[in-house]
Amino acid sequence: MTEPLITAHHLTLAAGCLTILNDVSLAIHPGEIVTLIGPNGSGKTTLLKALLGLVRVKGDITRRPGLKVGYVPQQFTPDPSLPMTVHRFLDLFAGHQAGWAALKRVGIADAHDRQLSALSGGEIARVLLARAVAGKPDLLVLDEPLAGVDVAGEAALYHLIAELRDELNCGILLVSHDLHVVMGKSDRVICLNHHICCEGDAHDVRRDPAFIELFGARGELALYPHHHDHAHSLAGETLHDH
Amino acid sequence: MIIDDFLWRAGLGAGLLAAACGPIGCFILWRRMAYVGESVAHMGLLGAAIGLLMGVNALVGTAALAIAAALIMTRASDRTIPAGTFVGIIGHMGLALGFIVLSLMDTVRTDLLGYLFGDVLALSNQDLIAIAAVGIVVLCATAVIWKPLLRSAAGGPIAAAEGRTSALAQTGFLILTAVLVAFGLKVVGALLIVALLIIPPAAARPLAKTPEAMALWAALLGAISAPLGLAASLAVDAPAGPCIVLAAGGLFALSSVYGLIAKR
Repeated sequence: MTEPLITAHHLTLAAGCLTILNDVSLAIHPGEIVTLIGPNGSGKTTLLKALLGLVRVKGDITRRPGLKVGYVPQQFTPDPSLPMTVHRFLDLFAGHQAGWAALKRVGIADAHDRQLSALSGGEIARVLLARAVAGKPDLLVLDEPLAGVDVAGEAALYHLIAELRDELNCGILLVSHDLHVVMGKSDRVICLNHHICCEGDAHDVRRDPAFIELFGARGELALYPHHHDHAHSLAGETLHDH
Repeated sequence: MIIDDFLWRAGLGAGLLAAACGPIGCFILWRRMAYVGESVAHMGLLGAAIGLLMGVNALVGTAALAIAAALIMTRASDRTIPAGTFVGIIGHMGLALGFIVLSLMDTVRTDLLGYLFGDVLALSNQDLIAIAAVGIVVLCATAVIWKPLLRSAAGGPIAAAEGRTSALAQTGFLILTAVLVAFGLKVVGALLIVALLIIPPAAARPLAKTPEAMALWAALLGAISAPLGLAASLAVDAPAGPCIVLAAGGLFALSSVYGLIAKR
């Protein structure tokens, strides 16, 4: 197997008498999509922040030397006091051409001249994804990236994320509540509730007693085979391809 | 018409300082750090008092304590008290203690108001040269650290997570703020210096579509506030520092009205 992009050994974080992370170990390899699921307050975002170096925890985190990370946070509210267009925002991080190409790739090139603070939640989600991939990252970290995106757009965006993985050959670490859409695209699912309850491919995890205990009927529902009879493009028009 | 030398010095000194405050002030606005600037200025008064007490000059004391306060306060993170409150506590302690120390010193007692609200008409030629030099250095330094600072301001946690923040730029920003506060003490005083850091950028916001345009407008509006304020101060025989701040406030009101009209 190739050298992992990032490896975490025995991460532990306690706040007072509360254990937020308990002996969590994981590794992410190039080209794989790892999805982190777990109930609210189970430590998903904290684990992500620890891996990104935003939160200090006990344990070891090893990054492949020169690892380039692209990050899409769970919440991002552009400050209206800062005048900044979408294109300038990408330019600032990835350069003019890469920024432009990424906007087109994510299907939000129309918004390039608009002010960031004037965008809707769904538009922001796409701009953030474009910004993250514009820098051609080795590891893409997405913390519930689709808040504010409608259901049809969601499926299209997850499809896009899987395509981007193939194009960039990057590893993707994804946190999501949207179990039913996510799991089909994931190579590996990690179920977190302060510690790792279970992990494996989507089908194995579904049968795991720890998963069923955590998600119960919701878990069953989440993995109910979900067949669309049509798909939506990112712009929202219907694509009839079957 | 003869314009006295001290007026020239006051207009140039205050204008240059306010212009240098503009771009740095934009970051204070974007990063919502007005309260940090306020507390740094309050600590600056204590610095001036200590400087005078130790027989060095007030400016050195102000700059030293303001820089120390800026570096310490932004690193303070206590979860039980909001960061802004903590910074406010430290700043007000500095203000209170500084005022007490100054008022105990007989020689400066008469100048107390000058420390609080500035004494721009008393700028000497050396003061003016120092302010001009500092203004130019601050503007150049701001240009050098502009891009990393802008990345942090625009990206927030994203820039930090991707390792795209520069500790040097962050520290530089704080030091530049503290230096402006120290030199502003003479011009508009410890209580009003933050006004020169936040009002011109706020007035510049409706006029700008890019961060760079906003910084330039902020510098320009700051520079204009100085002669406007001085003229007003002469006309009604009012203290110069507060008049300069009011002039900046007037420009803010005008640009806000413009912003409202332009939006329609």
